[in-house]
Amino acid sequence: MFRYLVRRLLQMILVFVATTFIVYSLMYATGGDPIQALAGERPVSPTQRAQLIREYGLDQPFLVRYWNYLSGLLQGDFGKSLTGREVSDIIAQALPPTIQLAAIAIVTTIALGVTVGIIAAIRRGGWFDNATLVFTLIIIGIPIVVLAPLAQLIFTIKIPIFPTTATSGDLYALLLPGIILGALSVATAMRLTRASFTENQRSDYVRTARSKGLSKRRVVGVHVLRNSLIPIITFLGIELGALMAGAIVTEGVFNVPGVGFNLFRALRTEDAPLVVGLVSVLVIIFLVANLIVDLLYAVLDPRIRYE
Amino acid sequence: MQVETARPVGRHLLEVRDLFVEFHTRDGEAKVINGVSYHLDPGETLAVLGESGSGKSVTAQAIMGILDMPPARIPSGQILYNGEDLLAMPEEKRRAIRGSEISMIFQDALSALNPVFSVGWQISETLRVRTGMSKADALKRAAELMDLVKIPAAKARIKDYPHQFSGGMRQRVMIAMALAMDPKVLIADEPTTALDVTVQAQIMDLLADLRRDLNMGMILITHDLGVVADVADRIAVMYAGRIIEHADVHAIYKQPAHPYTEGLISSIPRLNSKGQELATIKGLPPNLMRLPSGCKYHPRCPYMQQPICTDVVPPALDLGGGRTSACHFAKEMLDGQLHR
Repeated sequence: MFRYLVRRLLQMILVFVATTFIVYSLMYATGGDPIQALAGERPVSPTQRAQLIREYGLDQPFLVRYWNYLSGLLQGDFGKSLTGREVSDIIAQALPPTIQLAAIAIVTTIALGVTVGIIAAIRRGGWFDNATLVFTLIIIGIPIVVLAPLAQLIFTIKIPIFPTTATSGDLYALLLPGIILGALSVATAMRLTRASFTENQRSDYVRTARSKGLSKRRVVGVHVLRNSLIPIITFLGIELGALMAGAIVTEGVFNVPGVGFNLFRALRTEDAPLVVGLVSVLVIIFLVANLIVDLLYAVLDPRIRYE
Repeated sequence: MQVETARPVGRHLLEVRDLFVEFHTRDGEAKVINGVSYHLDPGETLAVLGESGSGKSVTAQAIMGILDMPPARIPSGQILYNGEDLLAMPEEKRRAIRGSEISMIFQDALSALNPVFSVGWQISETLRVRTGMSKADALKRAAELMDLVKIPAAKARIKDYPHQFSGGMRQRVMIAMALAMDPKVLIADEPTTALDVTVQAQIMDLLADLRRDLNMGMILITHDLGVVADVADRIAVMYAGRIIEHADVHAIYKQPAHPYTEGLISSIPRLNSKGQELATIKGLPPNLMRLPSGCKYHPRCPYMQQPICTDVVPPALDLGGGRTSACHFAKEMLDGQLHR
């Protein structure tokens, strides 16, 4: 187990270096003029330009510049945004609303998706099962760019129970965007839970459990549930990472000052240091989420052993 | 047809009476059990023999009450345990009998055991849930049970998971689990089919010993005649959802009273038939959706005589000494006067 962990951590470092390298190269390959971008509208004199180039190390070869950036990153120095603010400050401000948003989304997914999936599996073929199938197909069919503004229109303007934007970042304001963000995973979680549960209900060990004279509630609630949870928890873990990274549209529509919102703005203003910094954070979140899922997998399924 | 209906209600530990089971499928009704009757007394072993699809497992699952209904349906019949009809009982009362008075072991222990719980947990579960025994006591009892079924180093292996055991050991775990509540009836559904030949013998010996020591009645479901000979007291041979012959184990080997039983016995490979082609029963088991008329075995029977075999369902002929045969020519067979 320990050796597995060490190996995984080494792998994570490799993946981290590779992804930051790719994003770093892409951002600098866009060919913008970082000095002009830094100066904004004002003209830059050649002497100033030369001095700034030296100061920022832009005269160095590309690989050296990447190395400088990476070593700074490892010491917690994300560099400066073109707006002049420390990238680490922006990240520190953007993370909490994004985490809250993802948390609301994942709670929605579990509360709705997993529970409804289980009920649908138990009452397979009934009206509830069919109704949820139709519902999930509709939800999956609507892209988030439509769903988010639509929900905003209905629940904040027509029926004003939620604030229109969540700029303040308080929890109540984040509720609607969180649920919307979770809606897509709700549908997937529902289908996955139903499939996993159905498959396990047909297993031989269920027949054994029944022949032990256990109550139906115990057979389903202990024997079937425990086995069905394995793929569901894997899905939820990976989804949590994806939700944090993929909230760009939702955060944009509801003005949530989170990671996705800032990333979108940074891309538009070609703020390369900020883009690379935010993406690095997302990569780390994703890698950690994956590692936790894999470790959890071994806890949930004793047949999996990491050596 | 019924086997030994002369005995009064409640005489037997377990008695199946004229049981019918149908499965409702998309293509129609499959008549899986068509009037099965057998009985079991304490301390004896009844072997239920038959090909796949003959209904031997379904009968057992009907006794256990673990048939999925729907698609299964029991239109008529009785299953008497100590004289009480299990089929007429409320589910709660029946559940109290299931797994404690009557328990069952299954063919493939790897899939029949839950992969994510330790064997100790699974053996002790019944005790914890049903007798309210504490976790520690139940685990201690689980270790004792594992000792009883001769799992080496039982105490050390209690926290191991099913996949960490060999096939034979897994089957022992399953037996230990079935014995947790001291059942009076143990149904073993092809307990050795998934095992190596050497391990098969060990498991059969273990089952025979346990049956004797614990004075249980055992129903041994198998398609393997070789397994049956040493262990069983009586044999019920099933074909197309009926018991076509029922007899004492020695009698049946000496002289079968039904052509199907004869076919089964002659298809056992023998040492002195080396070099010869193996004897088989020609044809296939019948389609349960479209059962043949008359005797269900007539399309495959070498002694088939028209029109009686094709038109008339043979009743279970009482041949004396608890022996029955559902063949029109059972007496002739017994006397060795039947010729192809």
